[in-house]
Amino acid sequence: MGSMLAMVVYVVLFAYLLSAILYFLGSKTGKENILKLALILAILGCVLHLAILVMRTVLTGMLPLTNGMDYLLCFTWITVLMYLLLTSRYQLKSAGGIVMLMSAILLSLVLVLMTGQLGSVAPLMPALKSPWLTVHVVTAAISYSAFTLAAGLAVMQFFPAGRSIKDDYVYLLVAGGFALLSLSIVLGAIWAEQAWGRYWSWDPKETWALITWIIYAVYLHVHRTREWRGNAARWMVIGGFVLVLFTFFGVNYLLPGLHSYA
Amino acid sequence: MHRIYNFISSMKTGLVLLLLIGLASAIGSSLLPSTFFQTPLFELLLLLLLVNMILCTINRIKRTSRVLISKPGSRVWLRQLGIISLHLGIVLILIGGLVYSTSGQNERIHLMSGDQVDMGQVLDIKHPFTIELDEFRIEFNEDGSPSQYISEVTVLEQGQAVEQVAISVNYPLNYRGVKAYQSSFGYLITTQYVAKNNTEKVEGFLEGQWLEPADTNRRIKIYKYIPNFNPEYGMASVSMRPDNPHIVFSVYEDNKLLGVGAAKINEPTQIDENVYITFSGVEPYTILDVKADPGLPLVMVGGIILMLGVCLALLAAPVRKKNSVQT
Repeated sequence: MGSMLAMVVYVVLFAYLLSAILYFLGSKTGKENILKLALILAILGCVLHLAILVMRTVLTGMLPLTNGMDYLLCFTWITVLMYLLLTSRYQLKSAGGIVMLMSAILLSLVLVLMTGQLGSVAPLMPALKSPWLTVHVVTAAISYSAFTLAAGLAVMQFFPAGRSIKDDYVYLLVAGGFALLSLSIVLGAIWAEQAWGRYWSWDPKETWALITWIIYAVYLHVHRTREWRGNAARWMVIGGFVLVLFTFFGVNYLLPGLHSYA
Repeated sequence: MHRIYNFISSMKTGLVLLLLIGLASAIGSSLLPSTFFQTPLFELLLLLLLVNMILCTINRIKRTSRVLISKPGSRVWLRQLGIISLHLGIVLILIGGLVYSTSGQNERIHLMSGDQVDMGQVLDIKHPFTIELDEFRIEFNEDGSPSQYISEVTVLEQGQAVEQVAISVNYPLNYRGVKAYQSSFGYLITTQYVAKNNTEKVEGFLEGQWLEPADTNRRIKIYKYIPNFNPEYGMASVSMRPDNPHIVFSVYEDNKLLGVGAAKINEPTQIDENVYITFSGVEPYTILDVKADPGLPLVMVGGIILMLGVCLALLAAPVRKKNSVQT
């Protein structure tokens, strides 16, 4: 089962990468047909990606939210889905390349770092047996996706091709991500109080989630001020995303703590 | 005076404090011992943030009260209400944390089946009560990994049982402001030893304790209980389920290690001429964390207000028309 899932991941990865290339090509040449093909590939990849999540759910008998690999699969999928939903309403074609490239890179980490986990079925450890698990992890995953998208848009804003991307889009994505991260942290604290007896332990995962939260909180306070508007605000959004990545990968590999399963 | 007040209550100061807290946390979590977060310097930063946020929030309420009164129910009104709520929530959480750090209590208790503990002796509480451990058990998954740790306890007041509760991971006891959490567990190893004159003695030992039988100058360290022993795994257990329980022990004479062994339960092992030991059983005991935190309700309310506020502020976020020109 694991090797079959890995193959599907490769196919999705290929679709995302090809879609990214076509998006870049399409927005450079301005050819609508290429952009349309890029969109179709992204949609196909997204559907297959969902199939991976469904297969993991069937395999383990629970939603794919209980280990780091499943979480990465989920939030990468939500990132692509969110982009597809938003691009159908707003002018975000020019960000397609970077978003699909970022999604491809994140997804490739499943194969590079966690490939052995694709077929793994482990029963939940007692600390994870809680109704709080689903809401805590789902809100975290959606917030990560929103921050990923926001960072992608912010990066594109530095290039001429991304001129059509409005600051408001980035702001709304950060605001949405921030709201969900806040929910995730509070829900996690409620859960931690039940499971560990402390709502806040300064566990590395908690601490770095808070640091991430602080960066975006500062952005939300200053992004419209004269001193920070424009490039400075963009760098904050990108910096926040680096912190998101560190909270996920860095903490898991460098700073062991109570969140050893995530 | 006015200038000092303006400085303390300004949003800029608050943001700088937030960034300082973030920076200190980053350094603290990656480079310094975890006690850093309890140092006075770090707590001072949190306290300053609390003061700043109280003033900031009051100012915001004052500033927006005209809007709040004149346009109740409008989008702007809802957004302001959301933003104020989320700040208020954070303030309540910080106050709750302050209450815990000044008057919260946290202890750890070890209980064997049948043990009673007077909570009034453990924590300084107004309504003392007793808990008795009826049974501690570990439940297992099919693969031998632990599925749940359960401490069945009875709560007693003046010797009368008032409540029976199963404390397990994620499901603490909550009684009269005291919470008890399933935190950890250990094993008590019952050991029988027979000396030269055939006298028998039975005693319970914790992992790592020494047994010093009479009639021999050899000492035994009862090193570790291994629930599912396999020599290929060494000191590690195949799983936590007691499928092949062994006790690993080492024998010393005059502080010199004579040997290390792994004995089955109820299998006599010769230590010296006519001196035998038998590990006759292993009983798990429970370790509970008990806590009295008068700040918890405040933190709880703060968390809920924060969540509601953040949702409200987002849902009522200013919307721009689809193709509006960037300003």
